[in-house]
Amino acid sequence: MAAVWRSCGPFLKGFAGKTSQIPNNAADFIGRLRPVPVLILPVNYSSYAKSPFVYKIEERYNYDVVKKPIEWKYVERLLPFETIPNPLIKDKYPSGWVPPKEEAKELPYFIHRSKNHFLPVYLKISLRGSKKISIIRKIDGDIWLLNDELKKFLKDKNKMYVETRVHELAQFIEVKGDYVIDIRNWALSKGF
Amino acid sequence: MASRQIREKALNMLRSLPRVGIYNIRDNPGSRKTQKRGRGQHGGDKHGAGNKGSGQRQNYMRLGYETGNNPFYLRFPSENYYKGHHLKRQYPPLSLESLQTLIDLNRIDTSKPIDLAEIVKSGCYTFYPDEKQFGVHLTDEGANIFQAKVNIEVQWASETVIAAIEKNGGTITTAYFDPHSLFLLKNPKRYFQSGQAIPRRMIPPPDAIEYYTDASKRGYLADPEKVSQARLELAQKFGYELPKIEDDPDYEMLCERKDPRQIFYGLEPGWIINLKDEVILKPKDEQLIQYYSS
Repeated sequence: MAAVWRSCGPFLKGFAGKTSQIPNNAADFIGRLRPVPVLILPVNYSSYAKSPFVYKIEERYNYDVVKKPIEWKYVERLLPFETIPNPLIKDKYPSGWVPPKEEAKELPYFIHRSKNHFLPVYLKISLRGSKKISIIRKIDGDIWLLNDELKKFLKDKNKMYVETRVHELAQFIEVKGDYVIDIRNWALSKGF
Repeated sequence: MASRQIREKALNMLRSLPRVGIYNIRDNPGSRKTQKRGRGQHGGDKHGAGNKGSGQRQNYMRLGYETGNNPFYLRFPSENYYKGHHLKRQYPPLSLESLQTLIDLNRIDTSKPIDLAEIVKSGCYTFYPDEKQFGVHLTDEGANIFQAKVNIEVQWASETVIAAIEKNGGTITTAYFDPHSLFLLKNPKRYFQSGQAIPRRMIPPPDAIEYYTDASKRGYLADPEKVSQARLELAQKFGYELPKIEDDPDYEMLCERKDPRQIFYGLEPGWIINLKDEVILKPKDEQLIQYYSS
């Protein structure tokens, strides 16, 4: 009798082996009890690979562990760059990219290259395309002399006065109008 | 007297202070005010939302809805050429000019075979496998300036592009990768760090098999003999002399190809890469070997 009750669930665990202590009406009470359903809580793993179905595989399968094999060079090839690599010195660059020249360092002013090794000359378009401003960033040294020379160059080239704005603290010059190609060619001719 | 002392003190302080720069200046206190929305009886009037109607209630209607009219986009019978556009595979473009720039700037190494992982690693190209993008489409912009000798593997290429690469003594393959493999190719480091085994590459879907078994498209499932014949035919069509890659010093590099089940060059499916200890785990179990080789 006790064995039957024990299987009925946790309710009677305290009475196991103590049949004399069970009250007389206990059998009626137990007869009305349904078997307690086992609660299964859904467990959300972060991915299938992190579930126990997968991470217990290593115990089942046999693996050959090789330290620094020959194939490691293929792995190194796939790892990302830690910094942007510097361009190599070549005879020619078919893409039209021009490396900076050493002679540019002797000038009283200097334009640094961007982190991607291009000239920091950009076109800012605002007011639905009606306002175009060319901007030269990363200027070092005598920014006012650069401004004068650039203004003169653009005036001679386009036969028109161009408006500029010099920001000495933030080291940039803004030119009113789209003169990006002219400015870029001028800067490349100076060797920046 | 006192003012002069203060002035000198201030000047002395200025001299000892660091130079004013972009890194140590700030606005005057109270010069910037964030605009606030009034709440009172008259302070909070209409808040710029207008008077009455959907404007005031800010119930922005769905795109194209014309408040009860027969909407413009439903007024005419639909055009069929967009049918199923959301199911089609996309190949974000990369021009030959951009590829040449990346090579010139030392972002891509031509002494090794170039695949999608290498192109993404350069940092100037990206794609999203979860948005039905299946890799790179090499476009012919800059085909006339392209001068690099490369062994490149792309997902889509036109005849002009193939000619531009083979003219310079290079080789090109078009290869299919399933989305799961594309995630690996996009960020191999993250996958290696997750500690999972490299999976197999899946075979292309039925509508892509024709492209990737075509020798004229340089498909990776095409017969190599037919590919070499197609190379000759294309050289005759575009009128250039095909360089002999058999005599090339980089012959081995130019002929390096992936297995149709392989995702990365040199790394087989089933291997686990441990970046921390620089260890590769290769399966020895026969069951695993059979699974990954099939």
